[in-house]
Amino acid sequence: MEKQVVLELQHVDIVRSKDLVVEDATFSIEQGDYVGVVGPNGGGKTTLLLAMLGFLPIKNGSIRVFSEPIQSFTAWERIAYVPQGAIQVDDHFPLTVRELVALGRIQRKNIGRPLKKSDWEAVDDALHLMDIEDLAVKRLGTLSGGQKQRAFIAKALVRNPEILILDEPIAGIDATSLENFYKQLSDLNRKKTLTIVIVSHDLSTVFCRMTKLLCVNKKVYLSDITKESDPNIILKKVYGDHFHFVFHKHECTGDFHHD
Amino acid sequence: MIDSLLFDIPQLLGYQFFQFALLGGIIAALATSWVGLFLVLRREAMIGDGIAHTAFGGIALGLLLDIHPLITALLVSILAVFGISYMRKKGLAKSDAAIAVMLSLGFSSGLIIISIAGGFNVEIFSYLFGSILTIDHTDLLIVSLLGVASICFFGIFYKELLAMTFDEESAKVTGIPVNLFSFGFNLLVASTIALSIKVIGVILVVALMVLPGLAALQLKRSFKGTMVATVGFSIMSVVIGIFLSAIYNVATSGVIVFTAAGIFLITVVSHKLM
Repeated sequence: MEKQVVLELQHVDIVRSKDLVVEDATFSIEQGDYVGVVGPNGGGKTTLLLAMLGFLPIKNGSIRVFSEPIQSFTAWERIAYVPQGAIQVDDHFPLTVRELVALGRIQRKNIGRPLKKSDWEAVDDALHLMDIEDLAVKRLGTLSGGQKQRAFIAKALVRNPEILILDEPIAGIDATSLENFYKQLSDLNRKKTLTIVIVSHDLSTVFCRMTKLLCVNKKVYLSDITKESDPNIILKKVYGDHFHFVFHKHECTGDFHHD
Repeated sequence: MIDSLLFDIPQLLGYQFFQFALLGGIIAALATSWVGLFLVLRREAMIGDGIAHTAFGGIALGLLLDIHPLITALLVSILAVFGISYMRKKGLAKSDAAIAVMLSLGFSSGLIIISIAGGFNVEIFSYLFGSILTIDHTDLLIVSLLGVASICFFGIFYKELLAMTFDEESAKVTGIPVNLFSFGFNLLVASTIALSIKVIGVILVVALMVLPGLAALQLKRSFKGTMVATVGFSIMSVVIGIFLSAIYNVATSGVIVFTAAGIFLITVVSHKLM
């Protein structure tokens, strides 16, 4: 069965303060893809994501979201986005995890009306999905970085999106939490056929867990990740010929997608 | 002394002026504390103070033109709110500097108007420091209308205001018309200040806006819990203040603020001990 294309870019140029940041990006992301976005800092990763979300105008080319031109696309609730540094919040703000996640249920449609029972059920489902039910009544300020991160992803997921876009969500998380975190994302990707696009500097994880690799360094390359993929061939395109990434297949432990 | 207290309370409650004072005070306490909690969380507490002082100009203008001073104070407060946000938006001044400009402009125009009018000492004094025990029918009506308006606004748009206060950018993405709500919120700040002038006076309005919310924040509760505690502390301060000031014949606004500050202190200390 042909998979549905959910995001399609053709010859997209993006200019930010007169600099061409992304040049001639052409690729498409299909439903159920788990895409790792890699590339050097300042290479245009965030810029590309923002353009795909309609926050930044594009200079040339076209972007289609769920087969519709981005200019006329309105069903933004189908896409959830957790920006870089989302977890850097005021620790004294009086908000529990459950209250935070409930904010995600606010839509244009229910402005001025209290949340319904079904909304609160969705909140509890999202807490369950991210495995943070036990934190529901904790205040945000008392959580660790990893817990906060999961709370914010729960807030994104509570809208029942079809695409989840995460921009470097993992800064400041210890190794064990990190492993759990990626495991949860893999589960969401497979069980809920959620399309995930995630910016990550953790190349091993990208090659272990994800199905596609999007390399961004002004130019953009999308490649499939298979057992046979040689990371170095792909990565040299963006990091240059001097780049060498030591990657051992045995680093991939646990139930990964291409085991 | 305790005897005279117990004797006084039922007698006080029998007087109409005292009933008016209690009712007006509770409405003002509700509205100011809610708005105040949001102002504290938005780190804009001093806007309350700035606008209240600017409103002084409006009061003087009302007395001069023989219009009800609360109405002119409301109009000037609204002007002040938009003046401040205009200066911020256009990059003319940062928040604190913009507040300082408005505050001094309003207060100085108030002084000029008073001196032109030859001074209306007693009345001006009652607006500077509040005089809830002399609140009349018209005052109570204005206070109630503005109070009900702000309570409705908060009741209806509670979750949107919370989303905006917590993270304006992501609230925008969620589909909340953030600019429209900021506009509404600013109007609310202005009207809340205007309505509390009679209760507590322009000088001390900011205390009633900030102290209850700050005390509630010490309890480290959920947002809902914090809001309930804020309103509770605020009503407590105002009611205790009105009773004590009537019984001992001291300035009501002074006692209200002192009580609110006392509650804040207790929450800080008890949190440290726990």
